Amino acid sequence: MSLFLIVALPFLGALLPGVMNPAGRSATAGVTFTITLAAFVGLLTNLPAVLNGEVVTNGINWMPVLGLNVTLMLDGLGFFFALLILGIGLLIIAYARQYLSRDDNMGEFFTYLLLFQGAMVGIVLSDNILLLLVFWELTSLSSFLLIGYWKHLPEGRQGARMALTVTGMGGLAMIGGMLILGQIAGSYDLSDILQNRDLIQASPLYVPALILILLGCFTKSAQFPFHFWLPHAMAAPTPVSAYLHSATMVKAGIFLMARLWPVLSGTPEWVMIVTTAGLITMVLGAVIALFKHDLKSLLAFSTVSHLGLITMLLGTGTSFGAMAAVFHILNHATFKAALFMSAGIVDHEAHTRDIRRLGGLRHLMPITFAIASLAALSMAGIPLLNGFLSKEMMLEEAHHTVLFGSHWLVPVMATVGSLFSAAYCFRFIGHTFLGPVRDDYPHTPHDPGAGMWLPPAILVTLVVLIGVAPFVAEPFVKLVTASLLGSAGEVPDAHIKIWHGLVPALYMSIVAVAGGLLMMLVFAPLSRLWESTPRPEAKVIFEAIINGAVRAARVVMHSLHNGSFTRYAMIAVVTVLAAGYHAWITGAVGVPTREMQAPGAVAIAGWAMLVAATLGIVFFHRNRLLALILMGIVGLMVSIAFVFFSAPDLAMTQFTVEAVTIILLLLALNFLPNRTPVESTTLRRFRDATVAIAGGLGSAALAWHYLLRDAVATPISEFHLANSYKGGGGTNVVNVILVDFRGFDTFGEIIVLSIAALLIYALTETLLDGPVRRRLLNRTPDQPQSGTRHPMMMVVLTRVIMPVVMMVGFYIFLRGHNEPGGGFIAGLIVSIGVVMQYMASGFSWTAARLKYPYHGVIGAGVLVAGFTGMGSWFLEKPFLTSDFTYVRIPPFEKFELATAALFDLGVFLAVVGAVMLSLESFSRLARRADMPDSDHPMDIDPSREKPSPDLRTPEPEAH
Amino acid sequence: MTTDLNTILPEILLSGFAMLALLAAVYTGKDKMAPALTWITAGVMGLLALWIATTGEGTNPAFGGMFVDDAFARFAKVTLLLSGALVLIMGQEYMERRGILRFEYPVLVALASVGMMVMVSAGDLMTLYMGLELQSLALYVVASLRRDSVRSTEAGLKYFVLGALSSGMLLYGASLVYGFSGTTLFSGIVTAAGEGRAALGLLFGVVFMLAGLAFKVSAVPFHMWTPDVYEGAPTPITAFFATAPKVAAMGLFARVMYDAFGGIVGDWQQIVALMSVLSMFLGAIAAIGQTNIKRLMAYSSIAHMGYALIGLASGTEQGVSAMLTYLAIYVTMNIGTFAFILSMQRDGEPVVDIGSLNLYARTDPARALAMLVLLFSLAGVPPMLGFFAKLGVWQAGIGADLVWLVALSAVASAIGAYYYLRIVFFMYFGSEGSQIDSGRSPLLWGLLMASAAVMVLGVLNLFGVDGMAQAAAASLVN
Repeated sequence: MSLFLIVALPFLGALLPGVMNPAGRSATAGVTFTITLAAFVGLLTNLPAVLNGEVVTNGINWMPVLGLNVTLMLDGLGFFFALLILGIGLLIIAYARQYLSRDDNMGEFFTYLLLFQGAMVGIVLSDNILLLLVFWELTSLSSFLLIGYWKHLPEGRQGARMALTVTGMGGLAMIGGMLILGQIAGSYDLSDILQNRDLIQASPLYVPALILILLGCFTKSAQFPFHFWLPHAMAAPTPVSAYLHSATMVKAGIFLMARLWPVLSGTPEWVMIVTTAGLITMVLGAVIALFKHDLKSLLAFSTVSHLGLITMLLGTGTSFGAMAAVFHILNHATFKAALFMSAGIVDHEAHTRDIRRLGGLRHLMPITFAIASLAALSMAGIPLLNGFLSKEMMLEEAHHTVLFGSHWLVPVMATVGSLFSAAYCFRFIGHTFLGPVRDDYPHTPHDPGAGMWLPPAILVTLVVLIGVAPFVAEPFVKLVTASLLGSAGEVPDAHIKIWHGLVPALYMSIVAVAGGLLMMLVFAPLSRLWESTPRPEAKVIFEAIINGAVRAARVVMHSLHNGSFTRYAMIAVVTVLAAGYHAWITGAVGVPTREMQAPGAVAIAGWAMLVAATLGIVFFHRNRLLALILMGIVGLMVSIAFVFFSAPDLAMTQFTVEAVTIILLLLALNFLPNRTPVESTTLRRFRDATVAIAGGLGSAALAWHYLLRDAVATPISEFHLANSYKGGGGTNVVNVILVDFRGFDTFGEIIVLSIAALLIYALTETLLDGPVRRRLLNRTPDQPQSGTRHPMMMVVLTRVIMPVVMMVGFYIFLRGHNEPGGGFIAGLIVSIGVVMQYMASGFSWTAARLKYPYHGVIGAGVLVAGFTGMGSWFLEKPFLTSDFTYVRIPPFEKFELATAALFDLGVFLAVVGAVMLSLESFSRLARRADMPDSDHPMDIDPSREKPSPDLRTPEPEAH
Repeated sequence: MTTDLNTILPEILLSGFAMLALLAAVYTGKDKMAPALTWITAGVMGLLALWIATTGEGTNPAFGGMFVDDAFARFAKVTLLLSGALVLIMGQEYMERRGILRFEYPVLVALASVGMMVMVSAGDLMTLYMGLELQSLALYVVASLRRDSVRSTEAGLKYFVLGALSSGMLLYGASLVYGFSGTTLFSGIVTAAGEGRAALGLLFGVVFMLAGLAFKVSAVPFHMWTPDVYEGAPTPITAFFATAPKVAAMGLFARVMYDAFGGIVGDWQQIVALMSVLSMFLGAIAAIGQTNIKRLMAYSSIAHMGYALIGLASGTEQGVSAMLTYLAIYVTMNIGTFAFILSMQRDGEPVVDIGSLNLYARTDPARALAMLVLLFSLAGVPPMLGFFAKLGVWQAGIGADLVWLVALSAVASAIGAYYYLRIVFFMYFGSEGSQIDSGRSPLLWGLLMASAAVMVLGVLNLFGVDGMAQAAAASLVN
């Protein structure tokens, strides 16, 4: 049968049990059994090929982009595991049919079981390691569903969680290892990887790959230090425990180690890690198992111990060790599955699995007794049973193994492990079945029907058969070993025999069995000693680690993401600084190509003032008025700097913008307390200062660097300088850029400016209708209000100066095309003039004298600019193409007329409108808050000499 | 000119639609129009996606190369438009019931989508910035849509200020790049930058631009806004944040890095790789202690961006292709997950506490199973689609000799698996506690199931996404 079909059958079949559910329990189990049987038979059809030493492969491309192909491969090793999975699967299905009670949803159970089975078969038949990974994790998922099948058992929860966490994480780590392995070998197909032993072991990535892969294997196969999850997963129904946690899933890690044995094994790292882990697991598991009172727990820890044994054998890296491992996998699968099923029968019949409440079952359940004892004796390593044979081989191998330079460490540990192993086997038999019949079982047990005991009986038959006649199994074991070893080793010619003569292994075995018996004699005091000895419980440690990690994560995250904005900003700034520093030290710093200018006295003075004012702001910023004044100085110095660097346009713009914003801030000051309260600690301010200074120095260094070097490309300014007069008719390049070269940009900008102004208007309007209005009306000024709202000197001065300002604005506007100036600056100047009227003479007074609403001014500005642009369409030129000409109107001299000037008019109007509308909108807040407005700008408040004691009372208006 | 306009017709149509919708809603029913408007907007975005997917062909530069319509842009546009449309539909009922469905919401989402479309098509620093700001400004408003909630407005404000800071850095970087190369066109910059090591002047520009872009993809350490915004914003908006903008930002990131700085991969590769590692680990570790599922998803998205960045860091065509596939899968997973989070409620009130999922599998086995699939997929556990996403970027990373990055990322994904599995554990084995009812929205149910089904069925051939992503990557890297 095609390998695809063997793998696909369980998956496709997984749909059936759910469908068959209404047809009854037997039908559901029957259909599951049939599907598995079909796959089993399909597997057997490939037996002849495998026996011939052929490797059966089937493959199709799946996602070639990812190197992921569905290639399946069946060789001896794969066949062996597939046989175990499907064969034991058949027995488990038959057993589960009897075991599950009427209340359990059988369809669901068998669906999960088939999914799991398919995934397991997939693992052992995969040729592509990525495909193997897919199946690997699929077993985690389906096993999770199976463990969780009995949702009502509270003790199952912790187990399921731990199983999922440990194996899931291990699996993910393994993906990384597999990818690295595939990268080294240049292929993700096992058939290629397995040929590249030398390449892989020589690679510097061998160790990381090995560790990541072993993480996956160890977690899955419950090897130390990940051994703790397996016993806790035993809350699952017994068929699940028997199938997943002894025969199949936990062997997946072993399988993978065996699969990759030819390429990974043999290095010192491999021996060190794998043998050590296996040895510790073996001894630890055996010791703990002895003192467990729950039958399933005992078996679970014994499984852990035996998995450790197999791992240790694989870890030695010799051919003989590999053969012993293969043989023990076979033997363990047979006796352990039988034992689990027997334990399940006891649980099912006596309604308890607690050894302390059992005993004497020999008389009540003779069949179960026979099955369980034979299996347990085999596990203990009693001759004529298969466990003895593989244990002998293990001890023989241990005898030759040198670990950490010690010749006796491994043999002694192996003997100790075997000793405890024998002891718990004897305890399993002795305390459950032997002894007197009790009268306090929760439920009087008796042998179950054949449906339940037949599956373990079949397994035990195998146990005895192999034990008595090992030559039956030998060819098969050697075949499997051959495919495991691949080209990395020769199959040893040793024969599997019951009697090897008086070899050291035999003595070790005798010591183990005798020691085991001795231990049973002194079990009671030993158990008391064990109970009273404090010992680290892996589960507790695991939980402590998890909880600690959670707490640590919380602490770290809380301090990192505490919602504080300054912290967020600081981290961003520090990172950029670090990245910049990194760029600086790794990049090639070019040679300076420009000279520094010699600083004149004026420049130094300006610079000193700038720095002084900046420092002043830093130190005195709590006094808000002072800070504002200092800010004005900074702005002024920047404007002067522009003058100094021959950019009068920028200077004028900067200067007017400064003036407008300072006025705006002054308005806002009215609503704020005089001083900013101190809210941060000195330490924090120190930290912030450090970051700020570092940031400032960083940007200064950057500026320095750029100032001293030419860019690769020629500066764009040369183009503008060359074309300003020729193409735009103006000698002021900045203005020509604004209204001509980049006229479209400017057009967009004035629209944005206008929309912003309208938005401010709309927002303040909405605000004043809402709760803000109430707050403003109830607001109490915290300082005495000035008596002279409209000081006469100021009123007179602003009114006198108004026409002058207008004239200046007009002048600036006109000269803009050739000299510093232009519509934008002119607009700001005129705005300042008008704002001064508001401030000096009062809002109502000014508003009453304004003819045009600002909205209209804005609109007019945008329209004028727009129409100017469209004008060029009539001359079949693109939008905003400018033109200019010279005209002479007597008595004036010849002067220039440019369409750009008309466009500039639009800019001017839009700027005036936008600035005024914004300021007016802001001032609404103020007017609403403090004072009823006065139409009389030159009022004198008589109460000015002595401020009213009750500031709440509004000042009476003098009319 | 006409050809140019034709090339940007989808963008013109969507922005035209947004403005018309705004006007129409203002002058008619306002918020009463919102539900209908949401559906219509989603419909328009869906149709546009369909149109772009079916008609686009070849590489069409427009406006002298400032705007590029190629397979890469189309892939990203289709992904972001579809996810945006789905998220709109998904949240409509939720927002309406809680009285926060304003008519501006769909309009803002449409405008943000226009911005994103421009971002992924940018061929020039100017276009880049324009698209980025259009998207960001719309998102700032959307983030604080719930004006009466202190959380929401605070998150929105923080997002805005940090966003402005990052935009400033980006702009500064862009101006340094311009100062170095004398052009804002990507094609010109790549010529000026040359091959091999970049000059220091350019390098500074790249560093600053990287910082700005990292903020947009919420890569560590510029991720700080993400958890706050995810938590503070209403869930449908969180869902939006987790999907389309991520695609757009990563798309833009890839575009800048390959189109403009493709010759100096060695200089930015390490920085991107570092951000990737930090994101993966921070995302994985931070999520461990979370009890709020929205905050958890925030950290999850940070980690996922870290994985996607591996593809970018590899600097190869394979890497870009893997990154795009990753994004497509990530978005699909997130839509399903958020469909579930949106349906979490108790007595009509939304619930975001993970503890409320205790024993959810008992109340609603179907949803629990779907969520299990999605969470496994988010964790990257085979055979769910999320695994193939990770596999792709890992292979790309290994192919680019970033083995250390891949190894670390495998460790991070193992750590990260913990918190996804923890939710699964709660749903199946949690302790008894107050239960949630999961609402009765057939739409959310359908989306959840569909998304989970995609995660499982996608393993057959990834629905051909990898092929498209490859074509898209080929158009970007050459």
